[in-house]
Amino acid sequence: MSAEICGPGFDSFFSSTIIPLVAYATIVTSILIALSFMVGRATANPKLTLWSKTEVVQLVISVFSVFTLSIIINSFCIVDIGEVAVMFGLPSPGSNSIFGAAQDYLHESTLYAHNAMTVVRYHLEAYTVMAYLNAFACDFKTGSIGWGCLFGYSGENMQPFGGHGASMAALNIFFNGSIMAFFTSLNFLFILLFVYKGFVFLFLPMGVFLRAMPYMRSFGSLLIALAMSFLIVYPLMLSVFWLMRNIVVDASNGFVPPSSPALTNYMDEDVFPDEEGAGSAGQSAAAAFVGDSAVSDTYFPNDPNIVGAIMFAANAFVAAVFLPTTALIAAIASVSYLARLYGEEINLTSITRLM
Amino acid sequence: MKKLLIFLLLVPMAFAAWQSVAGVAIMISLGIVAAIYMVGKGFGINELQMMGKEEMFQLIATGILVVVLVSSDGLLNAISTSDAFSEGQPTMQTNAMAMLDNTIGEMGGILSTIQNNDRKNQVEGSKSSQCSIMGTGYSVSGCGGYSMLASPMSMAGGIVGFSIGELSAVHRLIQISNEYAFSLLLPLGIVLRTIKLTRGAGGLLIALGISLHIMLPAGIIFSEMLASSFAASPESAAYTGAAEDIDWDDYECNAGDTMPVTADKTENEENVIDVFNIMKSNIRKYMFQAMIRGTLGPVLALLLMAGSIKAISSAAGSEVDVSALSRFV
Repeated sequence: MSAEICGPGFDSFFSSTIIPLVAYATIVTSILIALSFMVGRATANPKLTLWSKTEVVQLVISVFSVFTLSIIINSFCIVDIGEVAVMFGLPSPGSNSIFGAAQDYLHESTLYAHNAMTVVRYHLEAYTVMAYLNAFACDFKTGSIGWGCLFGYSGENMQPFGGHGASMAALNIFFNGSIMAFFTSLNFLFILLFVYKGFVFLFLPMGVFLRAMPYMRSFGSLLIALAMSFLIVYPLMLSVFWLMRNIVVDASNGFVPPSSPALTNYMDEDVFPDEEGAGSAGQSAAAAFVGDSAVSDTYFPNDPNIVGAIMFAANAFVAAVFLPTTALIAAIASVSYLARLYGEEINLTSITRLM
Repeated sequence: MKKLLIFLLLVPMAFAAWQSVAGVAIMISLGIVAAIYMVGKGFGINELQMMGKEEMFQLIATGILVVVLVSSDGLLNAISTSDAFSEGQPTMQTNAMAMLDNTIGEMGGILSTIQNNDRKNQVEGSKSSQCSIMGTGYSVSGCGGYSMLASPMSMAGGIVGFSIGELSAVHRLIQISNEYAFSLLLPLGIVLRTIKLTRGAGGLLIALGISLHIMLPAGIIFSEMLASSFAASPESAAYTGAAEDIDWDDYECNAGDTMPVTADKTENEENVIDVFNIMKSNIRKYMFQAMIRGTLGPVLALLLMAGSIKAISSAAGSEVDVSALSRFV
């Protein structure tokens, strides 16, 4: 999948919106600095002139950072992450840009979590349906016919498939976990798409302007650091995880871990009746004449695989929550590091000797 | 023609090993650092000079990391393959995965036992008897006592299921590290560490690679060693060994039976109390397997890994807050 950030639409957005905004911010800031310098000279105020000279350097640093960022973004669109894998001695998972690989990883982890949720839900549905089935065994049975009900109602009422509380308790924990993994992965994907759509680029002209304003350097630095971290570090970390997709999300096995019985047996939920009526009545009739196995065989023709379902949900948690969280942690750490870096004051008393 | 020549010169770079890439990254960073220092020296900007010196120090540290990684590859392999950790397996990672597979298998057996007993208990407890002729009759439920076992059975199923999930997650992390830690995470982290913008990401990848590859399997092996040592001691008699099976044919419920056989209990109630006592006698064995081997072991290993990530990432030059990862434990 080609990420939107590498498409032609983004190029026009960046060149026709962001670059002009950065240019306007630079020009406005330069005018303000120049006016401050002139006022400082006119009023013989050395603090004002020194401040102006300092801010010129900060402005150059900010513009250089935006320029560097645009080069890095273009590089991320050009570099083939598959070739990077070959460089490290790994088989190439395919050709993809860094931004595309990051997006694909989150798509695949979301799909993986959803598959886990489906498998666990299948087991829960089956056990819930079976647990609610009631059977009335008439007394004095001959085969499937109980003569005790001929003139009245004499027999034993029971739940032949009841007693899956232990299984359902275990599955409920991981059903909740797989739902959380699914929504967390979607959340990370939305953050990434938000970054790709370009809104974070609007932080750049604001950051260029604010970094050169009094008392606002740290806030301006934060804006530039946010843009740089979420455009560089966050997609880069996710693209690294995409290289590990064959194990992380079992990409080579159709995004389902290998297990016995195969977990793909539990992904067709059409077996469950949509409403009461023919479906459940048919099962009740089958159970009455064929035996109770007719009901369990409908849902578990290959036997249930609770351990496999639980393991699937746990693996989905690693792929959809643990690893993307490390990417976000790295991006946030980068934000604080870059904000500190850009927010430092530079002493230019030496440079005044040249001017 | 010039473009073709430049392209041909760059082609070998595409097939260079990661060590070459790291070397090129270091050289490029060295050039940039030298330029920064020269500008600072020329204009008398002390901060730029300090930045240049700091970056030079970081480049030296990165170069040392590359040398250490290449030279200690053999040392780390020796640790991984030592008999103390590998115990007959090729490496400590495969040993840890084998231990986890074994424990997951045992947990699966326990879950199956709990499921079977739970199902039998619920089926018996659901029985009720009815008899009516011509609209006159009675219904009686003499199996209500079996319902007292449903709640602890559900809780047991949840605990054992949770331990299976935790063991599986740790197994998947070791699987990832076995395949990618030293081939991708560690070298890529070193390359990224040379660049100032990606130093944090590089440090975190280095920490992740080392922690997943060494600390996590080591934690599993140590906790398993502790459990095995306890299991071999005389004090563990009540916690080890096979659990007593429940033969439900002996404890079937007669739904219509409400006559007491002892002073205040029916035969159905006597049966369910017998089942309860058998389960009570088995609980220590299940507790040891599910809580100690199945839950505490992986938790200790994960905490060891999280602490290692924090320490190594700090040493590698990136301060990351791993409390978010620790919460997943």
